Amino acid sequence: MIKLLKIEFKKILTYRIFWILTGLYFIFLTLGLLMAEFMINKQVDSINSRSPIPFPHITIYFFPWIWQNITFFATIRYVLIFPAIVIIILITNEFTFKTIRQNVINGMSKAEFLSSKLLLILIISLIMTVLLTVGTLILGMSYTSELTLAMITDKAAFMVGFFITMLTLQIYALFFGFIFRNTGLAIALFTLYLFIAEPILYYFLKSPIVFENNISPYLPLNAVLRLTEYPSIPLLKNLMGITLQDSVSWVACLIPSGYAAIMIGIVYWVLVKRDL
Amino acid sequence: MISHLRYQTLETVLSINSISKRYGKIQAVSNLSLEVKRGQVFGILGPNGSGKTTTLSVILDLIKSNSGTYQWFGTSPSKESRKRIGSVIESPNFFPYLSPVINLKIVADIKDIGYEDIDRVLKLTGLYERRNTRFKTFSFGMKQRLAVASALLGNPDVLILDEPTNGLDPQGIAHIRELILLVAGQGTTIIIASHLLDEIQKICSHVAVLSKGVKLFDGKVSEVLAISDSYELSAKNNELLNRLIKTHPEFQSMVQLPDKIQVYFKGQIDPEELNQFFLSGGVTLTHLAERRRSLEQHFLELLDNNK
Repeated sequence: MIKLLKIEFKKILTYRIFWILTGLYFIFLTLGLLMAEFMINKQVDSINSRSPIPFPHITIYFFPWIWQNITFFATIRYVLIFPAIVIIILITNEFTFKTIRQNVINGMSKAEFLSSKLLLILIISLIMTVLLTVGTLILGMSYTSELTLAMITDKAAFMVGFFITMLTLQIYALFFGFIFRNTGLAIALFTLYLFIAEPILYYFLKSPIVFENNISPYLPLNAVLRLTEYPSIPLLKNLMGITLQDSVSWVACLIPSGYAAIMIGIVYWVLVKRDL
Repeated sequence: MISHLRYQTLETVLSINSISKRYGKIQAVSNLSLEVKRGQVFGILGPNGSGKTTTLSVILDLIKSNSGTYQWFGTSPSKESRKRIGSVIESPNFFPYLSPVINLKIVADIKDIGYEDIDRVLKLTGLYERRNTRFKTFSFGMKQRLAVASALLGNPDVLILDEPTNGLDPQGIAHIRELILLVAGQGTTIIIASHLLDEIQKICSHVAVLSKGVKLFDGKVSEVLAISDSYELSAKNNELLNRLIKTHPEFQSMVQLPDKIQVYFKGQIDPEELNQFFLSGGVTLTHLAERRRSLEQHFLELLDNNK
């Protein structure tokens, strides 16, 4: 296992595109957070101009809500596309450069090859979760006054939701990479599914004419995105009476994990069956 | 000591038992059987599309054959047996954005060998000075040399080279051939696929000739690729000549030309002996001329005769 990881790290350590895309993920996440706060407070300002009682400015970096707020912004489609593309490129590269052939010739089994990619995904997901946790802790601590330990740990489970999101989404990407083998095609189809195909399918399946029970939340990507949903700011709750998700559902984690397991099975079957 | 060496030379490294592979309507390899013994430099000779690369891909577990089996070192194939084999199949396959050293470290990791050998193979292939530049900046010749370097990593028991000199300039070709002979001299078993008869003849001890996926001959290079001479003959009584020539013990084949025949023999024939043969058969030759064939012509004829 250590050997497989050693090999994977050699493949990415001096690969510029890997670092650029991973960096872009964090840059877009930061921009998203900055913009979100700016937009919310602009809204507050406009309410204030009409209201005799002024509302205070809102910060999204307040414990314990910060966990959900940050993981929500860290798992919206527009930023998730970056780690997905990274995985697609890393896998299709192996077919483009025929290095998967060479790995097998040199004495790697196909199962080992697949395991090495899954291990890499696991490690990337873990590292990103740790980075985001550290970032959240720093931001939260500097924004929250009268901090208690309970406030910090209260909603920290959203980080598990984030980890599962990263893990399963990258496995979806791995699936596209192994099945289509061509970088451009795999990225195009993945993007198309993420932004167009599944949203359309979602609204189609939602309609009671199609199915009596709404199965749209169980679509592969929707099941992932639902893990860390819209931030539930107490203000929204109180003002508009909207109740939104306020904890990570463990059952909900099982659905994308199930999809990921099936995809790994299919990839393994195809890999063994197809010639290299 | 001698008996030990004898035993070594008899040891079978690779045995292929009636392998067949079909791509749709095309029968790429048909019922192919081969045996390669330790220390041999074994050539697989055939024109493009004769099934050489398909055969190599099957024995390296890249593609599955439709039928047949193969064994490495007397055991059924596994990733462990592949670790003892160094191979260059078709193009050199490396990560373009990684340096040769990192690319070779990946190979070493997979084969469970240390990094100590990397400098040696890079020096051997003349790439040591460029060891830290990205692979994509390499010329084709350098890429091919790196592929050979990676195949040589860790002194494998068997070296498999698929068209190792394809696309190289004369200097590059000479360099690669020197390397192969050097490695062969150390007793490494080598399997080379090539469409160049000249290459096989210069490097190999044994050869199998393939055409359209079928094995035509195999054996020692000196026997299979022995150059037999041909003679142009004519006589007043051509009919009798045609009948008589077929009874010659060394007769192989015959081509009818407008006013004479061209005859191929299995071995070397002395013109005087040939003349004597006809005289004793009651035929007086009016024309007898020796025709020497080039190696390539000979190869084409080998293939032609088996259509």
